[in-house]
Amino acid sequence: MANKSILLKIKRQSDPQHAAIWEEFEIPYRPNMNVISVLMEIALNPVTRQGKPTTPIFYDSNCLEEVCGSCAMRINGRTRMACSALVDQLEQPIVLEPFSKFPVVRDLAVDRSVLFENLKAVKAWVPIDGTYDLGSGPRMLPEEQEAAYPLSRCISCCCCMEACPQFNQSTGFVGAATISQVRLFNTHPTGKALKSERLHALMGDGGIHECGYAQNCVEVCPKDIPLTRSIAEVGGAVMKQAFADLFHR
Amino acid sequence: MAASVSSSASASAIKVPAGVPTLRAGEGNSFLWRRLHSLSGIFPIGAFLVEHFLSNAFATNGGAAYNENVRFLTGLPFVLALEITFIYIPLAFHAGYGFWIWWRGDSNVGDYPWLGNWMYTLQRYSGIAAFFYIGYHTWTMRFSGAHILTHSEVAYAKVWTELQNPWIVAFYFIGLTAASWHFAYGIWLFAAKWGFIVGEQGRKKFGYVCLVIGLALAGMAAGSLYAFITTPESQVPNMQEFQQLQHAAASYVLPALNS
Ligand code: SF4
Ligand code: SF4
Ligand code: FES
Repeated sequence: MANKSILLKIKRQSDPQHAAIWEEFEIPYRPNMNVISVLMEIALNPVTRQGKPTTPIFYDSNCLEEVCGSCAMRINGRTRMACSALVDQLEQPIVLEPFSKFPVVRDLAVDRSVLFENLKAVKAWVPIDGTYDLGSGPRMLPEEQEAAYPLSRCISCCCCMEACPQFNQSTGFVGAATISQVRLFNTHPTGKALKSERLHALMGDGGIHECGYAQNCVEVCPKDIPLTRSIAEVGGAVMKQAFADLFHR
Repeated sequence: MAASVSSSASASAIKVPAGVPTLRAGEGNSFLWRRLHSLSGIFPIGAFLVEHFLSNAFATNGGAAYNENVRFLTGLPFVLALEITFIYIPLAFHAGYGFWIWWRGDSNVGDYPWLGNWMYTLQRYSGIAAFFYIGYHTWTMRFSGAHILTHSEVAYAKVWTELQNPWIVAFYFIGLTAASWHFAYGIWLFAAKWGFIVGEQGRKKFGYVCLVIGLALAGMAAGSLYAFITTPESQVPNMQEFQQLQHAAASYVLPALNS
């Protein structure tokens, strides 16, 4: 690459109460940088392109290898993980914005607790609490493991929700990640004890029916989770549950 | 760009976004309404659409065949009750709830220009196009002018006269194509949402099936339009009677109620 420098445009917001502003940065080019290392470079010398001293950019990150899920942001308009977004593959100026559908904490960091709350609402866990040792769990067939493993790779980054046209304040849609976790725990031999509770939860307002099959979720998911398949499977299970409620009660 | 407020400005004017609310597990009836919306699009609305397109395709057999089919349909027992239960109520519900769905979604094909997202967006706009077309079509053909329910013998003449204006033909073409598309992709959505077709491959294949259904319906509609616009006036049955009825009906408010 002949680039001598890397140009960035970053949307910044000092705290939730203040309006966002844009700042431009220019840093010397080095090969093989990713967006996080660029942000670290800015922190070393936080001066805008126009020469105005500013504060370092605030952002979330942890693992730097696309497994913790904390560094999701909008890069050139599209949601993705900053740590795996390679500068050499990005168009410049690189435009960084925080998620648009989550409350901004500061700069590029947002509050993504809605996913945690949604996972709690569908009981996305395997119930093993009790007063005595339950022993080892039932065996899972290799086929079941193979189907479950990809689902278990979700890193709670919320990319699938940010990109979803149905995920917004008006619908209060639960989002693809939670639906996929319902599939994961409903297929687990012990987790399925809570199956009908999870399916009923997804019938509530903001539930699975709000999905409009835009399929952006499956395109943006950094972990390649088969989200549309999960939505179709869980959608079918929810319908079965609904008919069972209607006729078997 | 948006550098209008400096970081030291007063905070009072700025709204802090609340974020998307969490799932309301066990609350509300939106599940039922949304599923009824999906179902009503297949039955009865989709079923009626197919029937209606088939009936209109009788135009390709000439005016007499067309009018004979209309006579049969308008002669069905309880025809008004059938219309209300299987057409007007489901259509009004499907359209009304559809607008609500459209209003609440945030189409984002600009940032995420992928096929599924385009189909999502197109499903909203084809629905809106079909809505305006159906509204116009129902008003002109069913509720104003010569009353076809009681005078099926002028049905062909009525449609033929309407289609003498090339702008109307274009409007019909767009409306009919939008409705075909909306229905075809609606079948696909129905199959995916109700869990009939689950796998990626299966959904892809079924997508082609629906594409064929949509194209077939649109082609059928275009063929019927073509049959009308290529028929010379001399071959339109009961033209004079139609013109008299149309003229007389101009003074009615709602001919359906007066018949
Ligand atoms: S399929 Fe579309 S509407 Fe459904 S969750 Fe994914 S992005 Fe959202
Ligand atoms: S499903 Fe994919 S995009 Fe959604 S939160 Fe999990 S890892 Fe992120
Ligand atoms: S820093 Fe952990 S996913 Fe990017």
